[in-house]
Parts: sequence; structure tokens; C-alpha cells
Amino acid sequence: MPVVQTAGLCKVFRDFWRRPRVEAVKDLNLEIQPGEVFGLLGPNGSGKTTTIKMLLGLLYPTKGRISVFGKPPTDVAVKGRIGFLPEDSYLYRFLVAHETLDYYGRLFRLPSRIRHERADRLLDMVGLRHEAKRRIGEYSKGMARRIGLAQALINDPEFLILDEPTAGLDPIGARQIKDVIRELGRKGKTILLSSHVLADVEDVCDRVTILYGGQQRAAGDIGDLLCQHDVTQITAPRLSPKTVEELRATIQRLEQRDILTVSNPRVKLEDFFLKIVEEAQAANIRTYGARKGGELPEFLQKPAETTAKDVVDSLVEASTRRVEPLPTREPVPMHAPATPASSVIEELIQPQPVKIAAEEPISQPPTPSLDSQRLRKKADLSVIDELLAGRGGDGKPEA
Amino acid sequence: MKTWAVARQMIAEGIRMKIALVFIFLIGMVVLGLPFSISGDSSLTGAVQSFMSYGLTTAGFLLGMLTIFLSRSVSDEMVHRQIFLVMTKPLPRWQYVVGKWLGITLLNAAFLASVGLTIYAMIFYIRYTHPPADDRFDEAELKNEVLVARHALPFKLPDFSQSAEQEFQRNIEEGVYQDVPNFDPAKEKDRLMQKYNARWRVVGPGDFRIFEFENVLCNRSKDNTVQLRYKAQVSGYAPDEIFRALWRFGDPYKGTPVYEIPVRHMVDRFHTIRVPADAAAEDNTLMAYFYNINPYPGEPQYLNVQEFRASDGVEVLFVVGTFEWNLFRTLVLMMCKLMFLAAVSVLMVIVFSFPVACLCSFTVYVLAGARQFLAEALDMSSDDFATMFSSVKEFFVQSLIHIYDMLHWVIPDFARFDPVESFVSGRNVGLVWVLQAVSELVLIKAVIVLGIAILLFHRREVAELSF
Ligand SMILES: Nc1ncnc2c1ncn2[C@@H]1O[C@H](COP(=O)(O)OP(=O)(O)OP(=O)(O)O)[C@@H](O)[C@H]1O
Ligand SMILES: [Mg+2]
Repeated sequence: MPVVQTAGLCKVFRDFWRRPRVEAVKDLNLEIQPGEVFGLLGPNGSGKTTTIKMLLGLLYPTKGRISVFGKPPTDVAVKGRIGFLPEDSYLYRFLVAHETLDYYGRLFRLPSRIRHERADRLLDMVGLRHEAKRRIGEYSKGMARRIGLAQALINDPEFLILDEPTAGLDPIGARQIKDVIRELGRKGKTILLSSHVLADVEDVCDRVTILYGGQQRAAGDIGDLLCQHDVTQITAPRLSPKTVEELRATIQRLEQRDILTVSNPRVKLEDFFLKIVEEAQAANIRTYGARKGGELPEFLQKPAETTAKDVVDSLVEASTRRVEPLPTREPVPMHAPATPASSVIEELIQPQPVKIAAEEPISQPPTPSLDSQRLRKKADLSVIDELLAGRGGDGKPEA
Repeated sequence: MKTWAVARQMIAEGIRMKIALVFIFLIGMVVLGLPFSISGDSSLTGAVQSFMSYGLTTAGFLLGMLTIFLSRSVSDEMVHRQIFLVMTKPLPRWQYVVGKWLGITLLNAAFLASVGLTIYAMIFYIRYTHPPADDRFDEAELKNEVLVARHALPFKLPDFSQSAEQEFQRNIEEGVYQDVPNFDPAKEKDRLMQKYNARWRVVGPGDFRIFEFENVLCNRSKDNTVQLRYKAQVSGYAPDEIFRALWRFGDPYKGTPVYEIPVRHMVDRFHTIRVPADAAAEDNTLMAYFYNINPYPGEPQYLNVQEFRASDGVEVLFVVGTFEWNLFRTLVLMMCKLMFLAAVSVLMVIVFSFPVACLCSFTVYVLAGARQFLAEALDMSSDDFATMFSSVKEFFVQSLIHIYDMLHWVIPDFARFDPVESFVSGRNVGLVWVLQAVSELVLIKAVIVLGIAILLFHRREVAELSF
């Protein structure tokens, strides 16, 4: 059973005299399977937030049907399984962080002990434990946003809805949210997120839908949508010009084509920034802002679907189905085994620690997405052979 | 429990937002400041009574306003969208509405309780600091007539129908009505009854009247007292503005002692006479004789006519409870009104956004408070035999009256549940009255209003903009 299913969903906003004014969502058919990290993309005003609000029962659809966990979104019991981070932090300015989490915990009828424990863990996670005694009204935008994330997780939701989760966050927070999303995704939770930061979406999502003017313009598996099947990228330890020349000659000989670019990869600014902040934290410099948070709290660590059997079943079903081409109206690139060549090569060649000023290894390369991980296990060397033997690239390899 | 969480949240907001503080400050100023502003030349009873009366009325009004302003929380949550988070939690909408109402109500209860305590404390303060006019008299008057809960009984009006009937028959025999066109015997009998009634209420010099009271269910021991309250209403002002008369209590035929109490009373004022309670007979009746004579030898007697007007009343009062419980019941009555008002303002903020909702709630508050007054005003502006279509003005006035009549279904008459006057005059705020208020204002009307609020809130898309 899909977590979310909509059919012919429409939303028309009307003015005071009930005249239609904005058609925010038009004939939207979504289906989100359990365990999926689903991305909702689209320019400003394309109806992402409106869609999310309808899924949450904050808006009622003008036409069409919605089911969330098989029930209408207004069903109170369904809401107990959902966590929601709105696009802005709509928190009570007069409450302190801890009270905020406590209040939302109460609305889930969590016993007091669990509420306090989870609140502490979550504040740890979002790095605001030390500022927990301050009123939210005093918080900076990003700090409030972190509390927003914490409150979305207080009930250990099976289905997490994040509206622009990285908006307003510093790179640490953004990275951390991505880590959390990935981690939760790996634990089998279902996540729906909308974002403008395409790199984030690319990092974490299994599937995406792109909206424009309230209509679905493209949908599908992110691996499928983005894979450049005609380019191969190789990452290697630093090579001497002589080796590069030799490689070029080899490739010329084997493939009858030239290498397109050779360059030293730059470290991602994200990684660099993280390193600087980590250093400052190690030096114990006082901050009244957010700190780098800790790990995902333990209560979120356990795999999601251990309770209901049917959910487990559908999860298994979903993961097997995922490899198959998804039914969409948009043309999806064909693929025999949907194996991004780059990831296979990545595995073969251990990434070389990239040097930056301080001469120490940077934390870790970004974790590959769920899909590439799963697919990697199935990959065998024959794919490489095939690649090296027959297919080459004439597009631009990515830096 | 989730309802309680919302209520708690509401209370936290009420306390942390400055608005409640401002109101508490205002109420504090009124309650604490009033005793100091009461002028020293009033009697102790007067000082305490005006303090209690102003204190309670103002506190009640301010708490009413506070209630309306506190409900702002709901529309604030919609405008600032905290409601998005609350409504995506497994919180049924009715619990949200009830939680908000409960929060406002509990805040009100706490404020009202502290108002009550402060007033209680301040009474003692006034008692010990008020400049005494006549120490013992003042103290006794306060203790017996204000700081008590007394039950009041009206006297039993004699039956005039026999006299009226007799005169009517006599008139018929004498042929008085022969020439009267459209003669209506019932009306004529009524007129005759009224004539006898009016005659009975007037006591000329040297004359007397008997007032009979039934159900004087007090402790009939000699140490206990019952009180008689009447107004010295004379035909002409005596030069010294003093009316002298004699009251006699007791019924020798029923074996009670008889007490004679001469009075020197300021004219045109209400006066209370205390009588030992054993003047009441075993069958719980009490006889009071009024003699329009001067019992003080050597003092001048002005031949005045005393009139016991129907509007003034002659009452017997006796203590049925303590002042403290009376204060408590008074506060409960006030609380009932606030609970109804809280329901109304929650309803309003669900339908409208803040300033509009506030105005609407305030309108209801005023309508409820001034219902009788408004009804009378409307009635007066309409001509007696006009119909809705006799003129444009009539059309408006009559439609207003009709709308107003319809509003009666929902908007209660607060004046009917205003205990301050009774409380201040040391009368018992009866349990029955309190229960009436609880059932009408809270159990019926507040519940209906909250029900409507819940219904509307269910239909409402919380993410839609509100007006
Ligand atoms: N309550 C509302 N009343 C009227 N129109 C609305 C309302 N909410 C949204 N809209 C309109 O619906 C359209 C879609 O808005 P929506 O908030 O869903 O966009 P979005 O994709 O989330 O955009 P963004 O990326 O800026 O967050 C917009 O044209 C917006 O003006
Ligand atoms: Mg949006």
C-alpha cells in the first residue's frame, strides 16, 4: 500500500466572493511508496507547498482524492504517524526550545519520560542543547528551523514531510539534515521533501517529481533521470603529466577517442566549510548560535516498519519494484541494468584523500544515495569490461 | 490530555504575553487603589459597600475584556501559522477549540480568585483604617448588614379581592355602571383591587398597619436577630428630616415575646431594624406592626403620611450563611458569565480574524450586559399600535426588535445573573441562582456556542487566509 496516493488532485484558491483566482495544483497524480525518499521540485509558486498542505489536511482539495496511509488526510490517527517541517518555522515565540518540543510531544500523548528524553536527544541532534533555555523568539532563523526539524521528529514518524528543509540553514545544518534524511531513508522511513537546492535533492532523493504551474512535468527515479549514459568519469590519485599522456594514448588506442578534460578536482565548499567550523568548535570558541549536532537519536535509529506486517510486506514489494522502470508519462531513458557507471568505478578505485591546507584528511566523501548503494551490491566487473570495451563518452564528464 | 496540553499552552501564552500583565495591573490598581480613594466622610458601611461594588464590577468588566483579548491567541495562531503545526499533530479539532476555551477559563478563574482574595483582604484594611464616625454603630452595621449572607422575604400582601367584590356588588345595586359603555366587569374589579391596595399602602398619622411574614426559617433563639428593612417615605419633609414612628414585633396570640422598637429615621432612606429572632412564632411567621405615632415624648410630631410603595418593599432578612461563602458564590456567578463570554470569543476568532472578532465579541458582551435596557429602548421607540409596515421608521425599529428577539436564544441576559448588588447589600447569593447560572450560561449556552465553533472550525481550511 503506498503511503501517499493522489488522484486527479486539484486546488483552486478563491477570493472573498468565491471567484476562482489561482489554480495552484492541477490534476496531480502522486504515488509515494513506503521507504522512499521523494523529492518535489518546481519553481516558486508551482504548488509544492499547496500539495503538501493538502496531504496534511490543512487545505481541502477542490477536486480529486488523497489517501495517506490509506486514509483521508484529516484522519487524526494518520497524523500520529507523520512528521512535518513547514517551509517557515511556525513556532511559538514565547516558548523556550525545550517547552516547544514538550508541547508537541504532548499532542502525541507521549509519556512525560519519553518526551523529555526525546526532546534532549533531538536538541542534541540539531545542536541546540546549550541554547534550549532560550525563547524561540530570540532564535535566529536557522536556529528556529532546527527546532522545526526536531519537532517533526518527536513522534518518530513513519512518514516525514519536509518543506524546503535546508532553507535558511547553514551548511552544517544543511548537511546534517541531508544526513538525517539519508539515515532515516535507510531505516525505511518514507520522506517527502520539496526543495530548490537541487544538489540537496540529488543527494538524498530516490525519486523526484517536477511541478510547473501546479502540473507534473517530469517524474521518475533520480538515477534514471540524471544518468549520462554516454560519459565515463574516472577519479584517480594525482597523476603525473606523463601518466596522463600515456592514459590519453591508451584511450585513444582502445576507444579511438580523446579524453575530454583532465583537472584536479576541487574540494566541495561544503566540506571545506564544515572543516573550518569543526576546528573552531574544537578550539572551544563561544557561540550563542547552533553547534554541530550529534548523531541521529537512538529512538529514530530503529528500522521503521517493525510494527505492522502489511507495511513490511509493501516495503519489500516496493524495493523489488524499484529497479523496474517507473510508470511515468515522461520519456525515461532506457537502461539495461540501471547502473550508473561512475559509482561502480568509484568503488573500484579508492578515493584518494584530497589535500587541503591543513594537511589532514577531510571527514568523508558524501555518502552515495540509497539507490546507488543498493545497485552497487549487484554490480559485477563485467559491467566495467563492457564499458571499457564498447561504450565511450562524447559528452562532458562531470567535475 | 491533549485538550489539557492546549489549555496549558494557552495559559503559558496568557501569562507570558504582556496583555494579561496589563490587565492584571489595571485590576490591581482598581482593587488595591480604590480603598485609598474612598473619601473619609462616608460611613464605614458606605465605604466598604462602594469599594466592593466598584471593585467587583470593574474587575468583572476588565476580566471580560481580558477574555476577549486572550481569545486573540487563536486568530494569532492562524495568522502566524502556528496552527499548521498544531493541526498536523493528532489533535482532533474539537479538542483544540475546547482546549483554548479551557485555557482562557482557567486563567480567568485564577484572576478572579485573586481578585476575590484581594477584595476580602482590603475589606479588613478599610475596616481598621476608616475614620470612625460612630465606632460601635459602624462596626455593627457593617457586620450585620454587609458582611453577611441574608435571606430576604417580602411580606404577605392582604387579599383585597373580597373588599373589591363587595364594593362591586354594591355599585351594581346602586346602578353606578348603568351608563358605562362597553362595561368590562373584570377590568372594573381589577381597578377596585388596585384602589384598595393603594389605600392599604398609605398610613396616615395615628394609623397603623400589620405586616405578616411567612417562612421565616431562621434560628429562633433570643441571641439571634432578624432584620426588617423599609423605606421612610413620607408625604412631606419634616423640618428636621426625621421621621418618628413605632414598630412592634411578635404575636402574643402565638406566645412570642413582643418587642417595641421606636425609631427616629432619616426620611427618604432605607432603614434596617434588628429584632431578637424569638419574635418569630413557632410556625415560622412573624408579625410586624407599624404605628404612625411619635413614641418620643417631648419631641415634635409632624403629621406625616407614610407610604409603603410597592417598589420599595418591606422585607424581613435573616442570616443564612457566611460572608465568605457568599463571596465565593458571587465569584462563581461572575465566572459563569466569563465562561460564556470565553466561548463567544473563541467562536468569533474562529470565524473572523482578530480586530473584527474582538469587536463582535465585545458587541455580544454589551448586548448581554445591556439587554433589558436595549429592549426597553427599542420598545419605546416603537409606537404602541404600529405594525411593521406603517412607516419606514417602524419597519426598521420592528425588524430590529425581531432580530433582537432572535438573539435572545443565544445571548443571555447578564443582568439576570449580576450578583454584585445582592452581595454588596449583604443578601444571600442563593445556591439555586448559582446553579441556574451554571446551567443556563455554561451548560447550555456556552456549550451551544462552543459546538458552533467546533462545527465551523471543522469546515475551515486552516491554511486559507482569514479575513
Ligand atoms: N492561501 C492562499 N490563497 C491564495 N493563493 C494561494 C494561497 N496559498 C498559495 N497560493 C497560490 O498558489 C500558488 C502555489 O503556491 P505554493 O505555496 O504552493 O508554491 P510553492 O511551490 O510552495 O512555492 P515556493 O517555492 O515559493 O515555496 C501560488 O500562486 C500562490 O500564490
Ligand atoms: Mg513553498
